[in-house]
Amino acid sequence: MSVLTNLKRKMFSEQATPYMLLLPAVIMILIVVLVPLLFSLWTSFTPYKLTRPDTIWKFVGLRNYQRIFSDWDFWVAFGRTVFFLAVVINLEFMLGLGIALLINKITWGQRTMRTIMMFPMMFSPILVGFQFKFIFNDNVGILNNALQGLGITEQAIPWLVDGWLAMGAIAFAEIWMSTSIFAILLLAGLFAMPKDPLEAAQVDGCNAWQTFRHITLPFLMPFAYIAMTIRSLDVARAYDVVDTMTGGGPAARTELLWTLIARTGYDSANMGMANAMAYVSILLSIAFTYYFFSKLVAARRYMGGAQ
Amino acid sequence: MRLLSRLSTVLLAGATAVSMFAGAASAGEFDGYTLKVKLIGGAQYEPLYTRIPEWEAATGAKVEIVSSKNHFELDKEIKQDIASGSINWCVGSNHTSFAPQYGDLYIDLSVVLADDVIGAISPNVIKASMVDGRLVQLARHSDVSNLYYIKSLYEDEANKADFKAEYGYDLTPPDTWAQVKDQAIFFADPPNFYGTQYVGKDEGISGRFYEMLVAEGGSFFGNDGKVAFNSPEGVRALEWFVDLYEAKAVPAGVPNYLWDETGLGFASGTVALNLDWGGWATFFNSADSKIQGDVGLIRAPKGSSGKRTGWSGSHSFSITEACDNKQAAASFISFLTDFDSQLLEARTGLLPTRPDAIAAVIEESKAAGNDWLVHVFEVFGASMAEDAFAVPSTPLWIPISNELFPQLQAAIVGEKTPQQALDDAAAAANQLIEDEG
Repeated sequence: MSVLTNLKRKMFSEQATPYMLLLPAVIMILIVVLVPLLFSLWTSFTPYKLTRPDTIWKFVGLRNYQRIFSDWDFWVAFGRTVFFLAVVINLEFMLGLGIALLINKITWGQRTMRTIMMFPMMFSPILVGFQFKFIFNDNVGILNNALQGLGITEQAIPWLVDGWLAMGAIAFAEIWMSTSIFAILLLAGLFAMPKDPLEAAQVDGCNAWQTFRHITLPFLMPFAYIAMTIRSLDVARAYDVVDTMTGGGPAARTELLWTLIARTGYDSANMGMANAMAYVSILLSIAFTYYFFSKLVAARRYMGGAQ
Repeated sequence: MRLLSRLSTVLLAGATAVSMFAGAASAGEFDGYTLKVKLIGGAQYEPLYTRIPEWEAATGAKVEIVSSKNHFELDKEIKQDIASGSINWCVGSNHTSFAPQYGDLYIDLSVVLADDVIGAISPNVIKASMVDGRLVQLARHSDVSNLYYIKSLYEDEANKADFKAEYGYDLTPPDTWAQVKDQAIFFADPPNFYGTQYVGKDEGISGRFYEMLVAEGGSFFGNDGKVAFNSPEGVRALEWFVDLYEAKAVPAGVPNYLWDETGLGFASGTVALNLDWGGWATFFNSADSKIQGDVGLIRAPKGSSGKRTGWSGSHSFSITEACDNKQAAASFISFLTDFDSQLLEARTGLLPTRPDAIAAVIEESKAAGNDWLVHVFEVFGASMAEDAFAVPSTPLWIPISNELFPQLQAAIVGEKTPQQALDDAAAAANQLIEDEG
């Protein structure tokens, strides 16, 4: 009896109130996030097939993970995803920065330009994939027809077959679709930027490059790292555009982690193996997120902001 | 004459029996019931669904289409439904290539369908619709591929003379795949014109390889239950694709092509020979096609074994075990595969699974003076009756195909030799077989 009374008293004490108020949210998060995570972690130790639900109870230990670690194709896809991520994010950052700086200079029609800039983000990734698949088609695509019509080449350039060209075409589609995320966030940074340091730099005789390099850019970097964190998670899970344009092929030349995982999990119904692959690939997302967050903290410290 | 008279009697009897069964779903029989269905979507499949209100009016039931996607997406969704145990729908679109994967999701239709409904469908289609001795699907139309070609190329005197001089035999529409290769290389003038093309990814290239393997005299599985496609016949079959790619007789992008790309490519007038299904026949000869009036069609060519390619499948309907009103579902799928439904689909060029519907559409096309459609159905009807064969009936067909097609592509784009690619695919496929136990 006294134990129950003690418990009740503790639950309703002033110190416990914040935790009690948070409890429903914590329980919901556990149900929505943790349970599926534990479920998929369990399936990664089974030969679970979607079409044979009973296989979920067959424990095979680390067999799926052992196969992944000795599967050269998986690690090639892993490396390609890292490379793709690095290239796409850097290019999106540079282009987004350029667009933000240009739009910041506009004095008339700036709002309209900001809205127009958002258009590519409004398209579904599948539609973007189809659009660029048609543009890059070697036979009836408009790019090859334009190049041949202008006399630049007489060849049908295999944009979506050659490994480098195909990855370039996919990167182009991703960049076209999502550069505006960087531009919007960096523009927000430019709007929030105090004018005093810029005026002080002008008084001190700094040229435009010096002002940009030592004042504007450091101020924008926290915004850039937030955008990079968001986009690194998106790009590491790139699926729709790649699946529509090349399906990860030909001959796995454009295979990224999620085209491989989706084909293993859904087309081949081998969800146990797909979940094991997904857990290994999460390492990639964790690594990039950790890296960008540490850079974000460093950038804020440099600017004298919160630690 | 007597044979013809007997045939028309049989056709009439069959049509009457089916109409009677369709009529058996008397008005109000399923009053107030809502039948949940998952149907394949897409321009070629949806005209049939315009008949659904007729069935609703006749039975008093309502049809709720809970999902309408292309078959690959539908397949993923159905697998998720199986995994989550949320089978709350009654009728699903199915396909003979996909059906073996679904285990006991679907019922044996021979228990709920009248014999005359099943008897109206071609026996070889019914045979291909069985999984482990159970009739799990009722086919609405079949797909088998035959060879379309641009006629004027074969009528050109200069082409005839040049070809004869180079290859030593007359230029006529090809009867063998070896001739297809010769002619495709002869006609090719990249990047403006290509000899032929093929679907180059996913199950498309796996199925094309499979039918070429069979035509070369090989088999997909050996007697020991393991795959046997890495045989000399398999290498010959794969070399056909590789040789055409190396000779630039096919567009460089074929490893990314599926049927939309091959169909639209042929209709653009930039490809001489195109193996494709009947669903494109009307489009190829329409005003939207640049080769209108210049399209020929012959049976699919033979491989070196003398056997024609004939990878065939049928789009179908199945009823789930969890369905709470199997009689309503049976009435619905009987209606969507009856004589009138199949005739409606046949008018767009799709190949009916009922012989009486094939005969009727041929008669109708003759009466309308549409010689092209008459020819199309004669060719596809003969091909379906004599050449057609389904993929191996195993739940591993799609998983094995997913291991096989990247290796076929690797050989086509020159990363591996055909033997090496097939050996690698065989090793991965045998691992799947071993895991399946």
